[in-house]
Amino acid sequence: MAKTGFLTDTTVCIGCKACEVACKQWNQLPADGYEMTGDSYDNTQTLSGSTWRHVAFIEKSGRKRLTGDVDLVALAEGVREELPEGAEIDGLGRWTFMSDVCKHCARAPCQQACPTGAIIRNEFDNVYIQPDVCNGCGYCVPACPYGVITSVPEDGRAFKCTLCYDRQKDGLEPACAKACPTDSIVFGEVEELERRAEERVRELHERGYTEAYVYGTEEVGGTGGIGGNHSKFILMDRPETYNLPAAPELPQEKVGPAVAASAVAAAVLSAAVALAFRR
Amino acid sequence: MRENGRHARGSESSHHPGDSYYNIPPIKRPHWTWEIFVYFWVGGIGAGAHAVTTIARLLGHGDAALLRAGRYITLGSMVLSPLLLISDLGRPERFYNMLRILKLRSPMSLGSWSLFLFGSLSGLIATAQAAQDGLLGGGNPAARLARAVPAQILSALAMPFALFVGSYGGILLAATAVPMWARNALLMGPTFLASSFSTGLSALSLALKLGRWGEKGTHAALRRAERLALVAELGLMAASLAKMGKYGKPLYGKPLAPLFFGGTVLGGILAPLALLSGRESRPRGILASVLVLLGGLAFRYVMVEGGKRSADDPQATFSHTRKEG
Repeated sequence: MAKTGFLTDTTVCIGCKACEVACKQWNQLPADGYEMTGDSYDNTQTLSGSTWRHVAFIEKSGRKRLTGDVDLVALAEGVREELPEGAEIDGLGRWTFMSDVCKHCARAPCQQACPTGAIIRNEFDNVYIQPDVCNGCGYCVPACPYGVITSVPEDGRAFKCTLCYDRQKDGLEPACAKACPTDSIVFGEVEELERRAEERVRELHERGYTEAYVYGTEEVGGTGGIGGNHSKFILMDRPETYNLPAAPELPQEKVGPAVAASAVAAAVLSAAVALAFRR
Repeated sequence: MRENGRHARGSESSHHPGDSYYNIPPIKRPHWTWEIFVYFWVGGIGAGAHAVTTIARLLGHGDAALLRAGRYITLGSMVLSPLLLISDLGRPERFYNMLRILKLRSPMSLGSWSLFLFGSLSGLIATAQAAQDGLLGGGNPAARLARAVPAQILSALAMPFALFVGSYGGILLAATAVPMWARNALLMGPTFLASSFSTGLSALSLALKLGRWGEKGTHAALRRAERLALVAELGLMAASLAKMGKYGKPLYGKPLAPLFFGGTVLGGILAPLALLSGRESRPRGILASVLVLLGGLAFRYVMVEGGKRSADDPQATFSHTRKEG
């Protein structure tokens, strides 16, 4: 089976939250309450056990104001050509939207942490929690460097994006990708998505947006032994702006050295006790 | 069904646009409640008590009272430990899924297996002890069978699992994305193990002193060993703080600092060290043991709670993943 994943292109996201809604509907996830946060239009705030797609709203205020007669159509087309009155397109300020989701790591920390084997890689190479096996120990939660997987107290178990395993089995694309009106979320084979991401970043660079880059590679986002992510993103700002870590590590790389250090400590402490008890 | 209520905002109040996302923590803290730090403490006591009595026995130290106290303390700890762990699970009725697979890269899996093996062996060993003590009656077949258990051999076999139970709490915390724990990955296991030795020794010493059991030589040896374990623990804690650097902020800041420096460092290590170094007396020994035990509990609490606070601090996570000092 081919490896599948997402490519989320933040440059064409319009912040409509159709992905959040489609995900909740398809996966029958409960509502999160009706609280106003004051954090722009983001009242969801974060991925959680009951929210597997989350749209972030980042308001970047512009340094310069547009003056005079401005061709708004030209502006909206997003080309960095010379504008009337020497204005810059960034002078408008920018809304940045980003639909966050489970990264489906090539080497997944949550999967390695899971003591029951509930978290597996399925035939699509997606990271999937078997709900009938999970016993709710919660160890996958602090293991995830992206804050994705979350315990749900009312249920006891941990939950996250399944990459719509059930829909994929029937040859359908995941609900969020299906609902996305701008194709900001694209579902497909990982290698195809990688090509598509590179092409899009090249195109953005050519148009003057040199800050565009792919997050979820072994260089950015999928670092430190994680081996890249099957869910990749095209970002226009530092990862931290989107609440993403720049260079996370696979926490399990520390297990071997930590066990060795503890074995040394065990030998020394045992020797100390032996010293105290020698006759 | 929103978990943990609303998210906990990071502690950094000064933030600039682009530095974080509305100060919402980028990683999630574990749900672990009081059972977990109490388990780390109780399991550590059992592991330490088993290690000490087994080493003493292997060296030919023949005090039956020490052996008896060690075996019963270990049994008590190993009865409580799984109960605490199971009650913390989101689905306690599925606890046995911990043993459906062995994963060498998962400290939680290694720890579950070690606890299972160490616990089972300590049950057998304590049964043999109970038979010797006449608690199972005289001539019945069960007592005869229990007396046939090779307790010495089983104690030696249980040693690696006991030592792992004493240290893996630290390893388990270290192998996460939580900055305070991950930064100190190499010293977490050793520090937990040192505390497990000091609390195990104190539990033995306390039991023997309260019951007025044991030879004079045993009390003196326990006293010497307690001092050594406490010195090791102090050194490892100082090294841990140095290694954590700014990521240890939850330990220096309110509200954990008083408990960590007052309860663990001063009350749980320095004060008992002073008590054990001065004139030897029964009340002083008892006080020292109680202080070490309470200090060990405070240590487990501040380490688990401090990690939760560290996970809630977006700047700590971002700086940690950018590999900054």
